[in-house]
Amino acid sequence: MDFNSGQFWSSPITYAVFLPAVGALVMLLIPRQQEMTHKVLALITSLVTLGIGIYILTQFDYSAGSRLQGVVDTNWIDAINARYIVGLDGISLPLFALTLLVVPLCVIYSMDHIPAPGNAKAFLILILVLETGMLGSFVAIDLVLFFVFFEVVLLPMYFLIGVWGGEQRQYASIKFFLYTLFGSALMIVAFLALYFLTKNPDGSAAQTFDIRQLQALSGSSIGRTTQLLIFGGMFVGFGIKVPMFPFHTWLPDAHTQAPTVGSVILAAVLLKLGTYGFVRIAIPVLPEAAQSWAPIIGLLAVIGIIYGALCCLAQTDMKRLIAFSSVAHMGYVMLGIATLTPFGINAAIFGMVAHGLITGMLFFLAGSTKERYHTLEIRRLGGLLKSAPRMGWILGFCSMASLGLPGLAGFWGEFPAILSSYNPANPTRATVLFGWSNEVVFRIFMVLAAIGTVLAAGYLLYLYQRVAFGEPKEEFADDPHIHDVNAFEWVSWVPLLVGIVLLGVYPNIVFSVTNETVAPAVQQIAAAVGGG
Amino acid sequence: MLAFVAPSIDYHAFAPELIVVAILAILVLVDCFTSDYDKSSQSSVAGFGLLLALIPVVTLAMDGTVRGMFGSPESGYAYVVDTYSLILKALFLVSGYVVVLLSQTYIAEGDYWEGEYYQLLLASILGMMVMASARDLVSIFVALELLSIPAYMLAAWRKRDLKSDEAGIKYYLMGVFASAVMLYGMSLIYGITGSTLLTEVAANLRQFPAGQVPPIVVLAVVFVLVGFGFKVSAVPFHTWAPDTYEGAPTPVTAFLAVASKAAGFVALMTLVFVAFPGNTSTIEPLMFALSAATMTVGNLIALRQTNIVRLLAYSGVAQAGYMLAPLAVYGVSGTVGLQAIIAYLLIYAAMNLGAFAVVITAARKTRSGEISSFGGLIQYAPSLAVLMCLFLFSLAGIPPLGGWFAKFAVFRALVGAETGWGYALAVLVGINSVIALFYYARVAKTMVMDPAPDGDLSPVRVPFSLRAALVITAMVTVAVGVLPGLVGHFTDSVTIGAALGS
Amino acid sequence: MGNDVNIGYLTLSAILFGVGAIGLLVRRNALVMLMCIELMLNAVNLTFVTFGSMLNDITGQVVVFFVLVVAAAEVVVGLGIIVAVARRRPGATADDLRVLRG
Repeated sequence: MDFNSGQFWSSPITYAVFLPAVGALVMLLIPRQQEMTHKVLALITSLVTLGIGIYILTQFDYSAGSRLQGVVDTNWIDAINARYIVGLDGISLPLFALTLLVVPLCVIYSMDHIPAPGNAKAFLILILVLETGMLGSFVAIDLVLFFVFFEVVLLPMYFLIGVWGGEQRQYASIKFFLYTLFGSALMIVAFLALYFLTKNPDGSAAQTFDIRQLQALSGSSIGRTTQLLIFGGMFVGFGIKVPMFPFHTWLPDAHTQAPTVGSVILAAVLLKLGTYGFVRIAIPVLPEAAQSWAPIIGLLAVIGIIYGALCCLAQTDMKRLIAFSSVAHMGYVMLGIATLTPFGINAAIFGMVAHGLITGMLFFLAGSTKERYHTLEIRRLGGLLKSAPRMGWILGFCSMASLGLPGLAGFWGEFPAILSSYNPANPTRATVLFGWSNEVVFRIFMVLAAIGTVLAAGYLLYLYQRVAFGEPKEEFADDPHIHDVNAFEWVSWVPLLVGIVLLGVYPNIVFSVTNETVAPAVQQIAAAVGGG
Repeated sequence: MLAFVAPSIDYHAFAPELIVVAILAILVLVDCFTSDYDKSSQSSVAGFGLLLALIPVVTLAMDGTVRGMFGSPESGYAYVVDTYSLILKALFLVSGYVVVLLSQTYIAEGDYWEGEYYQLLLASILGMMVMASARDLVSIFVALELLSIPAYMLAAWRKRDLKSDEAGIKYYLMGVFASAVMLYGMSLIYGITGSTLLTEVAANLRQFPAGQVPPIVVLAVVFVLVGFGFKVSAVPFHTWAPDTYEGAPTPVTAFLAVASKAAGFVALMTLVFVAFPGNTSTIEPLMFALSAATMTVGNLIALRQTNIVRLLAYSGVAQAGYMLAPLAVYGVSGTVGLQAIIAYLLIYAAMNLGAFAVVITAARKTRSGEISSFGGLIQYAPSLAVLMCLFLFSLAGIPPLGGWFAKFAVFRALVGAETGWGYALAVLVGINSVIALFYYARVAKTMVMDPAPDGDLSPVRVPFSLRAALVITAMVTVAVGVLPGLVGHFTDSVTIGAALGS
Repeated sequence: MGNDVNIGYLTLSAILFGVGAIGLLVRRNALVMLMCIELMLNAVNLTFVTFGSMLNDITGQVVVFFVLVVAAAEVVVGLGIIVAVARRRPGATADDLRVLRG
């Protein structure tokens, strides 16, 4: 396999994307009764995919992260000039790697945690299909291809929540589904508008879905109002996925009801599809509109931070609390993106990875807690450090990471994002918010976001204190079900914990990759709007 | 006085129709000479005949020349075999074949008239094939009646069942009323233009400058198109569809929902693109209203259906709305819109027939059409449940299943028109897709998440013919979704009227 | 034939068509509804013949033959279905047919 050959069948990216789907197909043919075969097959598939991923990581030329690598560009739908274009660069590589890591961990965790009503076959098939969709979304460089992969993710998640979820699963699953589909309907109209309205410099219609070309043309031929509208369509589509305030209401329900593994994948990877869409598509393709929208994105991001944090303080359910904390954390990511500076967008990408590791880990913990206590009511829990000390320590560690303790991954997602809003792009540009300049607006955001971190410390410490400290409650005092971390849990958790420390101590692992890509992309944005 | 000159007939071009006629004759003969208790040969002959007729369709397509009959190069032809008609004939033949597969056990096991059933089915398919080639008001009318009259009888096929009788009579009265209205419109068009040949009609209608079209022309055009509005079950002419669909035998319902509706669209497209290309000011607002009303009303009523066949009926109404949408911008989008509708028809046929195939198969065990009877399907018939999810989500337009490309093609035609109306309709299609997802997902939810209503988990026996139908439709649905180029390859080359001198 | 006469025929056929259409929509006896359809089809025939003679074109009259034949086939089928219903529900009108809700 030659990494940069550009052939469909010789690109490892193609294999990494479609291998899980092939694994799912094979499992489809094996009878449901052979649960162990299914588990082993799913594990092998996801591990081999991870292996291919590691191979890709070794082949990736880190000194040229701004260039798309391993590009495959072949015909797909000739009628509309939609092509099968995949490739990786510094923006997508961290998220691609995150996905590759999280899925096998979820499969390992599922080895002895297939939630009721069982059926390991269907459960694991759905996870593998999900993996194909997620990986495909991160490597697609064609709008239609991206759209297709983006949607592939929907159905498995719908069934994961709807079949294996909690008591309100049907309501939660359909809500998730309808919200996302509504967003993607607007998104596809926006993509088509780009296709038809983007013109080459010589005035001929470009009629392309190739993100690279659209980025090079950067929508300069489209009227300003239309640009704003198209960006608005993408904004709703991606914003629902992130989820941004006020489109976030599906998230707490989906998270609370989803099975543990579903929550982990949702938090760790699916939400990133939205933010990734902003960084990869919406902003580079329509930089001018992005400038106009940036204050609004920033405002909604900050509202999300504060609102998510306040909601967390009011929660009585551990999983729901973590879900709302996701709203807040994704707010930091969006704030970083909204600054439109290399620093901010770098922070955002780091924040995505960090949030994926930390919140994924928190949902694992919530799932294991639920398994032991059969409840997630915070006031009924307590004394985790006594009854399951290792798990208690891990929960403490993750809470610290989540509230942004320096030295752990969460810090590098939040702190630079806040810092970057001190110096947004085009500081003097007047915004739609009272006509204040960008600089003023974003500095207000900065202050609010900083208050958000204080609130985050509040609710996470509250959670930890109630769940882990003190004596175990009477009803659970001598419950034999409450045991400490078991082998499957160790195997699936350790890589995430290591990742959290590693990224915290040495954040350059991600920054060095992303910075290469982000800087040129943002410079292009600056150039497109005439340096602001 | 001119001597009568027999028109020259291109037998190659006519071969598909002739084969179907010949098989029809053979069916009658076989019917006469077989015992009343064993008519199993009928379905085999019918199915074989439909596949046989595909051969000349393929050879004609490979040949690629446009063949016209009954006319002259100057005036245009009354009967044309071009890519447009060939691809639709192939659609009718294949979906007819799938309907035969669906019917085999259903008709054989019930107390039905097996022999005549397949004869009428073939007659109806013949009418559709003629419709695909017809380029003259009279031949369109004859084709329409040829496809409709057997369908009226098929709808009432369970004649000892009051529901089926009711289905038949409602379909009949509405259908005949619609064709009378259409015929009156045709008579007016003939009076205005002095010809029934579509190309001449178009040429003569062009004499009216835009903005000065006499009301009688508007009336005539609207009458003709409204007549086909019934056929494609466009709101407000859809009222027959749910009742007829529920009452008719389910394979016939599948036939009506797919082939008959496609035939209606074929006629609409032929008329709009060949006969009335210049009447955009009349047709576009009409189609906009029809399309918007059809998709919205169809979806909203579908939301509260409890019977799966009625749900599919209303979903079919809504889908017709999406298919009508490109006609609302046909003046600008032109061929792109035409190709979008054809692509939609092809994909719609596969996924909708598939959904009906699952309904028929599941009903063999549950003996019910209620959605609740599908509960627990995933437990006792997992593959059926997975296939049904496949078809339903394809109908909802979720990639990577075929339906997404159909919707995408419609979006492309609408957005590509770059008019306010086009954008408005595109957004409406988007909103409606979300509404539609709700009821498709409800069926999926029942199958996957609800328990079996009577706790009976014995497996469903799937006869070979139904298995074949399921495999064909599922393969098409998935293949088109992953590689839309398959459909694009066919529909891309489709143009209408290129060889007609217009 | 004078033009006025033709206009008269066209008006007559329009009236006939209208009577048929309204009859179909308001009457509830299946047989009467069938007769209304016949009325509509014959109004169409009259229009075609009139236009044929106005345009001095044979097509208009040829179409009539097609319509006649098709109408005959349609009526046969329609009567068949109506008889099937009548045998199970004597004296049924369209309003009684409501096993299926519209």
